[in-house]
Amino acid sequence: MTGGSVASSPAVATSGVAAGPIGLRAWLRLSDQPFGAILGFLLPALLFYLAFTVYPVLLTIYDSIFRVLPNRPATYVGLANYTAVLTTDPTFWQAVRNTIIWASVGPVTEISIALLLALALYAKIPGMRFFRIAWFTPVLMSYVVVGIIWMWIYNYDWGAANTLLRFLGLGQLVRSWLGDPSTALPSLILVTTWMWTGFNMVVLLAAFHSLPAEVLEAAELDHCGWMGKLWFVMIPMVQPTILNLAILSFVGKMKVFDLVWVTTRGGPLWSTETVSTYVYRRAFDWNTFDLGYPSAIACIWFVIVLAGVLVLSRIFRRHQQLEF
Amino acid sequence: MRLRHVLRTLATVLAVSTYMAIAPAHAATLSLWTFWGDQGAKRDFIEHAVKAFEAAHPGDTVQVSWYDKNSLYAALKTALRAGQGPDVFYAEVDQVEYIDNGLLLDLSNRLNWGDIEPWAKQAWTFGKGTYGLPLEAWTVELYYNTKLLHELGFNPPANHQFDQKTFLALIKAAHAKDITPIALGVGDRPYPGAFLTEEALLKEVGAADYGKLMRGELKWSDPRVVKALTYVKSLIDTGALPKSFSTLKLGESHAYFYSKPGSVMFLMGSFYPSRAFNPPNQGGQPPDFPLGIMQYPALDNAACNECKTMAVGGSYVVNAATKHADLAVAFLNTMATPAMGKLWVETVMGQTGIKTDMAHVSGPHAGYFKELAAVNDDAKYFFGLPSQVMQGKRRDAFTQIINQAFPAGILSVQQVVDRMDAVQ
Amino acid sequence: MGFGRPLGRGLLIVALALYTAFAASPFVWVFVLSLRTTTEIYADPYGLPLPPHFGKFADAWLGSSYDVYFMNSVAVVFSAVAIVTVVGAMAAHCLARYQFRGNRALYFLIFSTLIFPPQVTIIALFQILIEYQLFDTRIGLILVYVSLQLPITVYILESFFRRVPSDLFDAARIDGYSEVVIFWRISLPVAWPAISTTIIVNTILLWNEFLFAIVLISSDSKRTLPIGILKFMGDQSNDVGMVATGLMIAIVPVVAIYVFFSEKLIQGMTAGAVK
Repeated sequence: MTGGSVASSPAVATSGVAAGPIGLRAWLRLSDQPFGAILGFLLPALLFYLAFTVYPVLLTIYDSIFRVLPNRPATYVGLANYTAVLTTDPTFWQAVRNTIIWASVGPVTEISIALLLALALYAKIPGMRFFRIAWFTPVLMSYVVVGIIWMWIYNYDWGAANTLLRFLGLGQLVRSWLGDPSTALPSLILVTTWMWTGFNMVVLLAAFHSLPAEVLEAAELDHCGWMGKLWFVMIPMVQPTILNLAILSFVGKMKVFDLVWVTTRGGPLWSTETVSTYVYRRAFDWNTFDLGYPSAIACIWFVIVLAGVLVLSRIFRRHQQLEF
Repeated sequence: MRLRHVLRTLATVLAVSTYMAIAPAHAATLSLWTFWGDQGAKRDFIEHAVKAFEAAHPGDTVQVSWYDKNSLYAALKTALRAGQGPDVFYAEVDQVEYIDNGLLLDLSNRLNWGDIEPWAKQAWTFGKGTYGLPLEAWTVELYYNTKLLHELGFNPPANHQFDQKTFLALIKAAHAKDITPIALGVGDRPYPGAFLTEEALLKEVGAADYGKLMRGELKWSDPRVVKALTYVKSLIDTGALPKSFSTLKLGESHAYFYSKPGSVMFLMGSFYPSRAFNPPNQGGQPPDFPLGIMQYPALDNAACNECKTMAVGGSYVVNAATKHADLAVAFLNTMATPAMGKLWVETVMGQTGIKTDMAHVSGPHAGYFKELAAVNDDAKYFFGLPSQVMQGKRRDAFTQIINQAFPAGILSVQQVVDRMDAVQ
Repeated sequence: MGFGRPLGRGLLIVALALYTAFAASPFVWVFVLSLRTTTEIYADPYGLPLPPHFGKFADAWLGSSYDVYFMNSVAVVFSAVAIVTVVGAMAAHCLARYQFRGNRALYFLIFSTLIFPPQVTIIALFQILIEYQLFDTRIGLILVYVSLQLPITVYILESFFRRVPSDLFDAARIDGYSEVVIFWRISLPVAWPAISTTIIVNTILLWNEFLFAIVLISSDSKRTLPIGILKFMGDQSNDVGMVATGLMIAIVPVVAIYVFFSEKLIQGMTAGAVK
C-alpha cells in the first residue's frame, strides 16, 4: 500500500540518530507518514537552503573576524573589524542613518497614499480597472530602468521636474535634485514611493473587499459618517494587512541597492549612501580586496534588520495575533 | 602482411609528429577587456594594434571586449579576485590593489622600456616591479571658446595665463550675461571636479609640498592651502560652475561646452580631443568651433605658477594568472614602439608614455597640437592625480569633498579643511 | 457605498487623475523619447515624435549586444523559475500535508530568510561560487536565483496546498497511489492557480534582479539584461534617444506579461500580504 515509503530502514540505520527505524520515525512523529517520500520532497529544497543560504550566512560571520585577501590565507583579526566599523567609520553610521530614514519614511508615505487611493477605488469610481493597471505598472519595472528614467526627470536643465516647476512659475524652487545632499535622499524616497504605492493600493483594495459586509453595514446604520467609518472601522479591520505591508516595505527599503547605484552611487557627500551600497563598495570597489571588513558590516546590519522587524511587529501587535 | 601493417603505422606516426613539429604552436586567443569603445580615435588605435599583432603572430587572435569605465572596473574587480579575468586589460595607476594582491604580471624585464618615457615607467613602478604599459598620458588643461571670450570683452592672456584678479573678473562677466563660465561635471567620474582646486593648490605651494599634501604629510590647515581654497571658493561663489555640476556626466560636459548651452571655458584633461574631435553627430564639437587653450589662473605670490599636473592615464596590464604570458607581453610590445606612439599622438591628439617625437606631428589637427605644445612650453609637471596618490578613506573623502561637495558650493573653506584634516 | 456629494466626487476624480499622471507619465515620456533622435530631444525635450523613428529599435537591438543580454536573461530566468517551481512545490506540498516534528520550525526557517538583507549572503556567495568554479557561469547564477526565490515560493504554495481537502488524499491513499503520484496527480493540478502566480512573480522578480547579477557575472557575453542596460547606458551616455530606445526594449516584455496576466499577477504579488 505504501508504495513510496520503501527503503526507510537502511536510511535510518546509517543516520545513527536513533536506534533503529522505529526510534527515528517515532521521534519525528512519523509513525504513519511515508518517511521516504517526505525526505524526497524536502531534500532538494533543503539542499538549496543549506548550500546557498545557511552556509553563506555562516561564512559571512566567519569572514568577519578575518582579513580576507586574494592569493593568501586569511589573517585572524578577532573583533578588530567590528570595532573599526562601529567606532571609526562615520560612513557606516551615515549609511545606517540614511537606510533607516528611508525604511521608516518610505512605508509611511507608500501606505498612507495607498490607503487613500484604495478607499477612492473602493468608492467605485468609474474606470477602476484602468486605474489599477496604471498604478500597478511601476512595481514591475527593474530599478535600473526606473533609475535612469528618474535621473532624466530630475535633470537640472531639461528634466520634467524642473520644467514643470518653471512652467508653474515656481522657478525659484528649481534645483539639482540629485546633486544636493539635502534633497538627494528625499528625491530617491519619492522614487520608491512612486514605485510601490500602487502595490500597496492593490493589496489594500483586496483587503477592503474581503471585509465582512455586515460590519460595514452596521457602521453605516450607526450613522458614523464616512470619515468615522473609515477611521474606526475599516482601517482597524485591515490592520494585519497594513502590518504585513509595512514590514514588506520596511524590509524592501533596507535592501535597496540598484536604485542608488544607478543614480547617485551614494553621493553627494554620502547623503544617499545605504548599507547595501557601502557593503558593495567596500567589498568590490575599494583599494583593498579585503572581504572581512564588509562581512562585519553585513553581520552588524543583519542584527539591526532583525531588531527592526521585531520592533515593527511589536508596535502593531496590540490584540492581533501575528501569524507568519 | 604484418610487416606492411607495421610500416604503415610507423609512417603515419612519423608523418604526424613531423607535422606537429613544424606546424605553428596551438593557436591561442588573447582576451582583452578595455575601455574607450566610444572614443573613435582610441578605439581605432587599439584595433590597429590588434591587427598588427595578429599579422605578426599568425594563428593567434585577440578577442576584444569593449566596456564603459565603471562597468569595466566592476567586472574586473570580481573576475580578478576569482582568479579569472582577461589576459590583458585596461587599468590606471590608482588601482594599486591589483598590485598589492599580486594580480598583475611584473613587466620589468619584458617590455621595450627603451621606447618608453622614464617618468611614465615611474608611474607604473611599485616596489621592485613595473606593472603596466603607460599608453596614455594627459595633462590637466583649460579649454575656452575664443569667440565668447572676445564677446565678454577680454583678450587672450599674454603668456596664456590670466592672473587671479582678471580670471575672477572674467567669471563675473560671464555670469552677469547668464553664460555659464566653466562647464564641468562629476556625474560619473571621481576626478574632474577637483581640477580647479588641485591646480590652484599645486601652484600655490609648489610641487614638493603639493606631493606632501596629497600623501598626508602636510595639513590642509596650512595657511597657503587655505589661501588657495579661499580663491577657488570665490570663483565658485560667483557661479563659475553649472548648477547641474553634481549630476552632469563627463560626456555631457563636453557637449555643454561646445554645443548646448555653451560655456566660456571647460576644464578637461588633454584627452579632450578623443570626444571633441569625433564627428558632431557622435558627440563631437562643431567643425568651426573657436577652440583656445590657456593655463589655469596664476595665484598672487604663488610658489610655482607654471606647475601643472600630468598623469599617466589609460594603460594596459597583464593578468598574473594568464596562460599566455608571452603572447600578452608581445601584444603590449606591439604598442610600445615609436611608430605606434606617433600614431597615437597624431590620431588621438593627446600625449603618450611612449617616446614620441612630438615636433613632427602631422595630420588634420596638427594646429591644435601645436597650440597645445606652445601653451605648455614652460610648464613644469607634477606627475600624478590626487586620486592616484591617495588611498582608502582619504581618497573616498577627496572624491566626495574636493571633487564634488566643495565645487558644488555645499561646503565652506573651513569645513573642507576640517574634513580633509580629519582623514589626513 | 458612495460619497454622495458631486463636488466631493469631482475632486476625487481630479486627485485620481493627477496621481495616474504621476504614476504613468514617466513611461509615456520614455516611450516618446524612444522614437526621437537625440538632436531632436535636446532641441525640444517635450516634443512629439514626428516623424517616429521606429528603426531605432532595430539599431539598439543589433548594434550593441542587446540580443546577447536578452537571451542570457531568458535562459537564466527560465531555468531558475522552472527549478524553483518544482523544488518549491515539492517542499511546500510536504510541509503542508505531512505532520512531523520540526515541520513548523522548518517552514519558519525557510520563510524567515525573506527578511535577510542580501548583504549578509552576497560576499560569501561570491566566494563560494569561486571555490566551486561556478563564478561567472550562468549555472551559478541560476542556482543562486533559485535559492533567492525559494522562500517566497514555498510561502505562497504552502498556504495553497493546505487548502486542499484531506479527503482527496485519503481517498487516493486508500486506492493505493504512492506519495509521488498523489503529489503529481492531485496536489499540483489543484494548486495550479497558485503555481502559475508564483511562476509569474518569480519571473518578474528575477528578470529585474541586479545585485547578484553584477557581482556573480563578469564576462560581457554572460550578462543579463539589467546589467546590459546599464552598460548600454554607459556606452551611450550622451545619446539619450538611444538609451530611451534601449529602456523601451527592456520595458516591453514586462508590460506584455502584465497585460496578458494582470489578474493572476496582482493576485500572486499580493498573495499572503492580505490577511
